[in-house]
Amino acid sequence: MTDSFLVDAVFWLFAAGALVTAYRIFRTDSMVRAAFYLLASFAAVGGVIVLLGGEFLGMVLILMMAGEMLIMAIVMVMYMMNPAGLNPMWMVHQHRVAVAAGILAFAVLAAPAFLVDFPDQANREPATATAQLGEELLGNSMLVFETAGVALLATMVGAVAITSRRGRYGVADDGSEEPAMDPNDAEVA
Amino acid sequence: MSEFPSPQLAVIVIGAVMVAAVYLVTVLERLVGSVVAGTPWQLRHGLAFPLRAAALLLVQRRGTTERPDAAGWASAPALLTALAAVALAMVPLGARLAAADPKTGFVVFSAAIAFVMIAVYLHGWSSNSALALHGAYRYAAQALSFQIPFLLATLATALPARSLSIVDIVTAQQPLWNVVRQPLGLPLYLIAGLAVSFWGPLNLPDAADLAGGTSVQDSGVARLLWKGARAALLVAVAAMGAAAFLGGWWGPWLPGPIWTVLKTLILLLVLIAAGHLLPRVRIQRFVVVAWVVLIPLALANIFVSGALLLL
Repeated sequence: MTDSFLVDAVFWLFAAGALVTAYRIFRTDSMVRAAFYLLASFAAVGGVIVLLGGEFLGMVLILMMAGEMLIMAIVMVMYMMNPAGLNPMWMVHQHRVAVAAGILAFAVLAAPAFLVDFPDQANREPATATAQLGEELLGNSMLVFETAGVALLATMVGAVAITSRRGRYGVADDGSEEPAMDPNDAEVA
Repeated sequence: MSEFPSPQLAVIVIGAVMVAAVYLVTVLERLVGSVVAGTPWQLRHGLAFPLRAAALLLVQRRGTTERPDAAGWASAPALLTALAAVALAMVPLGARLAAADPKTGFVVFSAAIAFVMIAVYLHGWSSNSALALHGAYRYAAQALSFQIPFLLATLATALPARSLSIVDIVTAQQPLWNVVRQPLGLPLYLIAGLAVSFWGPLNLPDAADLAGGTSVQDSGVARLLWKGARAALLVAVAAMGAAAFLGGWWGPWLPGPIWTVLKTLILLLVLIAAGHLLPRVRIQRFVVVAWVVLIPLALANIFVSGALLLL
């Protein structure tokens, strides 16, 4: 068993894993399960990026997705009358349109794999890849990233201001109570 | 660079270290508890306790709940075990003795810590049980609060090393350990580390006030695996603390790996003693303290560390 065989095997494991879990997102019947499948798909893509030599980018993708998918699952569950996210539901509406749109989007995204003439020699990651990335972020592309960063920061400040407990009209949860653990015990106000 | 004879050997060593770590944590937990409470601790009984507890769980009958997510419930303990193994594998024993030393070791460690919240949430959510779900949401709130100060405190140690590799981070501490160079770092790391491994005062997701929280419905082998994974995670946090702040293998007289183990043991004792000496914190209070106190302190820490390097 050679190293390159092992690398190929791991690549196909990640690639197939990313596709299967991505497909499962739409076939499962729970928001929380869908979020976990999406996370698994992203983690597999992160693994592929690491194999391609983007060690830092791949690991950062995996790192960031854990928190984001958890927040997404919690927010989705909060919007539903289904606190555990375990009640069955459909993940897609308008099935035929959804299937057609899914296949079309996949074809468009997968087309570059066949249309682009890829170099066939092995790609060796330069030793300073992370440093190059840092220079790019704070060098030529600084304006783009700083603009996006300031916009995101403003969004975060706005979100915190909106959800703040001490609002303009007094304490936000004034007169509210924590829900009882057992719905039968809840006092009717 | 890794000087292990083979990757296979590294895997076996990590597995053996984890088993030993779980045994040690269980013994120390009882020992420290006896010392704090002033009750006698018998050597024979104390050393045999982990084995007896494990044997009891191994033969215990598996219970189940109404319509659980069986796949998630079964895989959560395995996921937490794997994450503890990844985190532990990032810690070098000696200058030329690291199970794995990727250039982005810090990021790999952080990714493992970030996935702990997935494992705990999955564990509490999948058993379809009210108290377990309660524990899962507690850890979600806790994790989103400790993540930033924990990672910032650890990231600050990468600045003097000018590298994200853990071996480089330890190597750069030869003249001066990071615990002196960044006095805020280690306390922040340990507070957030208790929250990461949900241990002692910050064991909110698996707390006694929820009758065991996310593991309230666990039984048999699954409970054994979950408890073992938690203990291994605590050791991984202590080991990384020893490497990032206490100078890892640097020390006089003794060979390097022994210093790494000794420093890990000291931090482990501090973390375990915190569980017996400090009261449990309420989740609301922890979240507020994390965002209002810990994150600004962690930012100040990383800013001062960076500024000192540029001067």
